Formats: sequence, structure tokens, C-alpha cells
Amino acid sequence: MTDTAIEADALAKRFGRLGRATWALRDCSFRLPAGRVCAVVGPNGAGKSTLLALAAGLTAPTGGTVTVLGTTPGAARARVGFVAQDKPLYPQLSIAETLRMGADLNPGHWDAAAAQRVVAGGDLDPKKRIRSLSGGQRTRVALALALGKRPELLLMDEPMADLDPLARHELMGVLMAQAAEHGTTIVMSSHVVAELEDSCDHLLLIGEGRVRLAGEIDELLEGHARVSAPAQSDLSPHTVIESRTTGRQVSALVRPVGTLRADWQGGTPSLEELVLSYLRNPEAPALTPAKSEEFSA
Amino acid sequence: MSAVTGLPRTVLRLHRTALIVWAAFVLAAVAGLVWLNEITADSARASGSDWAWLDYSEPMGWVSTAMYYSFWAVAAWAGSALIGRELESGTARLAWTQGLSPTRWLAAKLALPALVLVLAGAVFVPVYRWAWSANRDLMGDNWDFGDVFAARGPAVVAYGLCALAVGALAAIVLRRSLPALGVAVAVMISLNVYLEQHREEFWPTVTRTSATEIELPNSASQIENGVLVHGQRNTSVDYWSCDGTAAEMKRCTDDLGITGYWSTFHPQSHFWPMNLVETGILLTITALATAAAFWTLRHRTGAARKESAV
Repeated sequence: MTDTAIEADALAKRFGRLGRATWALRDCSFRLPAGRVCAVVGPNGAGKSTLLALAAGLTAPTGGTVTVLGTTPGAARARVGFVAQDKPLYPQLSIAETLRMGADLNPGHWDAAAAQRVVAGGDLDPKKRIRSLSGGQRTRVALALALGKRPELLLMDEPMADLDPLARHELMGVLMAQAAEHGTTIVMSSHVVAELEDSCDHLLLIGEGRVRLAGEIDELLEGHARVSAPAQSDLSPHTVIESRTTGRQVSALVRPVGTLRADWQGGTPSLEELVLSYLRNPEAPALTPAKSEEFSA
Repeated sequence: MSAVTGLPRTVLRLHRTALIVWAAFVLAAVAGLVWLNEITADSARASGSDWAWLDYSEPMGWVSTAMYYSFWAVAAWAGSALIGRELESGTARLAWTQGLSPTRWLAAKLALPALVLVLAGAVFVPVYRWAWSANRDLMGDNWDFGDVFAARGPAVVAYGLCALAVGALAAIVLRRSLPALGVAVAVMISLNVYLEQHREEFWPTVTRTSATEIELPNSASQIENGVLVHGQRNTSVDYWSCDGTAAEMKRCTDDLGITGYWSTFHPQSHFWPMNLVETGILLTITALATAAAFWTLRHRTGAARKESAV
């Protein structure tokens, strides 16, 4: 066992041939401790899916390294569950055959009951072919496959996108129970921040292929403040993430350095406010715990 | 390695339609050969009609032709349904995150169909060899016909295996089903055309010279023949225009300076070495394509790094 679920060091991934190449990820470094429920957020095309695919050992990085459960993604394969964004399944198989495939490919650590429960929650006929299922039903089967394997780390790319609110609530409950019971580390990407706020305790904000924010959500929120001050106030030495002047007031989101002036009205931002401020201001300095200093000790 | 029992089961479950179609095809071919030789051959002889032998020889030709060119279907299937579709739709990624490394996934995907192709060949080739020689009087073909040549030996299996490997490589490089299908079939057709054209060069021929015109046995596969003009081989003298009585013929050929005749050919005994050489060429290409497919897949998924890190 290791206490680190994922550790990325200068991870980079480039797509396309030379000349027209685009960087999906660049100089991406972070550390996710084990046992966390981590939200990976960022705009479309930020590199979330690429990061998850690299961690799942589905594609090779162009540069840097990613360590998963203390080893390479390829070696950790048996202990990692993955649900891809488009929920690929074999259309010619029935639901029952799909689950049997999970059992066949994961000998020794397949939890048939857990997989069965996820499918049963959706009232699905096990004899039904995958090709006849709706998007939400496919998501359910894909989650059943990933959970049945009893992973130590579960990576999910936009897992809830196709689900109706009831199913979303139910399956989120299943996932949280899994995390609580077995200490499973869960990493899920989404661009709907509200969806993640209640269930996640760790955040990874990715923008333009780089890590913008990484850390425990509580600490990140405490490390930032909303301030309302008279216009022309000098906000230094605090790090300004975003500021907007309306009339004689300037409202800003800052990363305080030392204490804030008492007469500035402040408050802790919500997760959504924090995320949006960083996304709206690509120039804002990133906040990622420098792993070499903080964690090597 | 403990998943070795579950893994073949999974691959068979995924491709059972293809397996059923292939098994039905091979069994129909074998049954057809038995029927033609046990029933049709006798009735064709008994009918007394001048063209009755065609009732036997035509379907015999269809069977060998269909089996010979079945590698087209194998290439198309390997490029699309077996590998290409999985990479295109993302189901390969599903398999790779269900405890199955890309290397083992590809190994299973290639090994099972390869086994099926070898088994099919092990059943078909002996039956065809028996069927082809059982009623030679009703057949107008020869051992050097393209389909007959391949179907009477391991070459027909080697074509299937090569198509499998080329299809897989095309799919892994292109990652899309339809282009991979097209490329795999095109490559295999070109390879087949090339080998058919150069088959006779892969084994030394026999040359016979004689003072009189050479009558080769019917089974010999003639490649080139001509006359000796003052002891030199010549293919351009039109000695066949000489006509008439034996004396007139003699005078005519003497006028042309013809001193003898020569013929270059493969006797029927060359069938096995020629078939094995072609099989060897095809299996070498199969091995290279398979290695390239594994290398590309490992390189792309980072599996190569895993090896060096562990």
C-alpha cells in the first residue's frame, strides 16, 4: 500500500504530428493522496480526459512521469478502475455477458454482487443487449464493470453526464459508499462544479493543459478570500486572482499573504466562485503544492 | 496469467458470429468436396453426356477458389471487426482497464483466430488433397493453378495467418475500422498477385534439351520452351509454321538451322518445395507484421516503459 494514489511530475502529452501538434497537457505536476474523492475540473478541452487516460495506462506520455498507486500505470492496471467519457461497451453482448466478461478478465478480485447491485438499481433486464440501451443505462453498466473490479483507484471521466437526477443521486451514493467502505480513491472529472461540491474533498483544476489549482478543497477555500474594498485600494501584497471595480467599490478574489485589512469586507468563497475566478483569469498564478518541498519530508 | 481461461472465453464471446460463419464455411467446403467425389463424380460418369464432367469439375473449382481467396475476408475482418472497431469505438480501452494489458489483449485477439485458421486448414487441406486426386479424369486443371497450388498445402493457411497479422497491423496503425479494412485487403491482394507471378522463380526449374520435340507429361508446369538454333537457345524462331510430311518438316527445320529443342518447367514433384517456400515467405511477413503491431501498440500505450521500469 502507498499513501499516494497519483503523482504526476512534469507530465506532458502532445497530440498530432510535428508542425500541427497541440499540447493536451504540459508540465503537469501534482500529488493526490490515497483515499480522497477528487474532482478534476476545467473547461472543455482542458486536458482532463488526457490526464485520466494517462493515469489509466491507456496512452503513453510525451514527457514527464505519472505514478499510480506507487507504480507505473501499466503495472497498476489490475487495481485501477476506469470509466471513459463515452462509456464504450461491446454492443453485441448482453448486460449479463458484459458482467461475465468483467468476471473473466478480473479473476480473483471480481465482486459480482457489487456489479449486480449497480445494474439492478436501474431495473435493467440482464438479457438485454448493450446496443439497445440508452446512454444513461450504458453509464450504469460501465460503472458496474468498474466497481465490480474492486479498484483501489477509480478514474471516471464525466461519469454522471448521461444520468437523470435520480440515477445521478443514487449512483453518487453508491460511489461514496464504496469510497467510505473500502477506502477507494475516486477521481472524477466534470465541468459542472456544482455536481462535485458535496461529494469531493480534493480538487484538481486544469486549464489549457496545466494544473491551475490542486489541493484539499477546504484548504483551498481557506487560502482564498473574497474582499470588498474601496476602489483604488492597494490590494498588494495579496495575490489577486480576479478583481472587478463597480462604482466606488472593488470586489476581488485574493490569495491573502498575511492578514487582510479588517475594514475590507471579506469572506470565504464558494467552490464554484473559486473555480470560476481561476477559469476567467488564465493569467492568475497557479496554486499547486510543490510536491518536492511539501511531501518529500 | 491467471486470467488465461477467462480471456479466451471473452474473445470467443465477442467474436462468436465470425467464428460461426467461418466454421459453417469450412464445413460446407469439406462437405461439398465429399459430396462431389462420392456422389457427383459417379453420376457424371454414368450420365454419358459430353459435358457431364463439368457438373463435377466446376464446383470443385469453386471450393478451392473460395478457400484460396478466403484470406480477403480474413484481412477485412481482422482490420475492422477484430481490432479496428475496438480502437475506433473505445472498447479496446474498456478491455485494457479490465485488468487486461494491451499486449495480452492483442495476443489473445491474434492467437485465437490463428488457432481457428490452423484448425480449419488441418481439416480442409487433407480433404482437398484427397478430393483433388480422387477423380483426375473429370478435372481439367493442373497442380500449378493458383487456387489448387495453395489449397493442396500449408500455403492456404499461411495466407490466412498473414491476412490476420496484416489486418491487425493496419488497424493498430490507422485506429479506424474502414480504412484499416481497405488497406489490409489491398496489401493482401497485392502480395498475393506478386507471389502468384513469381511463384515459379522461388524454386530452381528443370530444363530438358532433346534432338526431337519434347513431350512433357501433362502434370508438368511449363515455363518456357523453344528450339536450339546451332546449339543456341532461341524462342523467336517460328518453327511451328513448318508443316507437311515428315520429310517436309525435316527440310523446313533444317532450313531454320534448328538442331534441337529445349523446355524449362517445374515437374509435379516441385509442388511441395514450392508450396513450402511460399508458406515460408508468408509466415515471415506474418511474423514481421505481428511484431510491428505489438511494437506500435506497446509504444502508444506506454507498455514499453512499464517493462523497463519494473
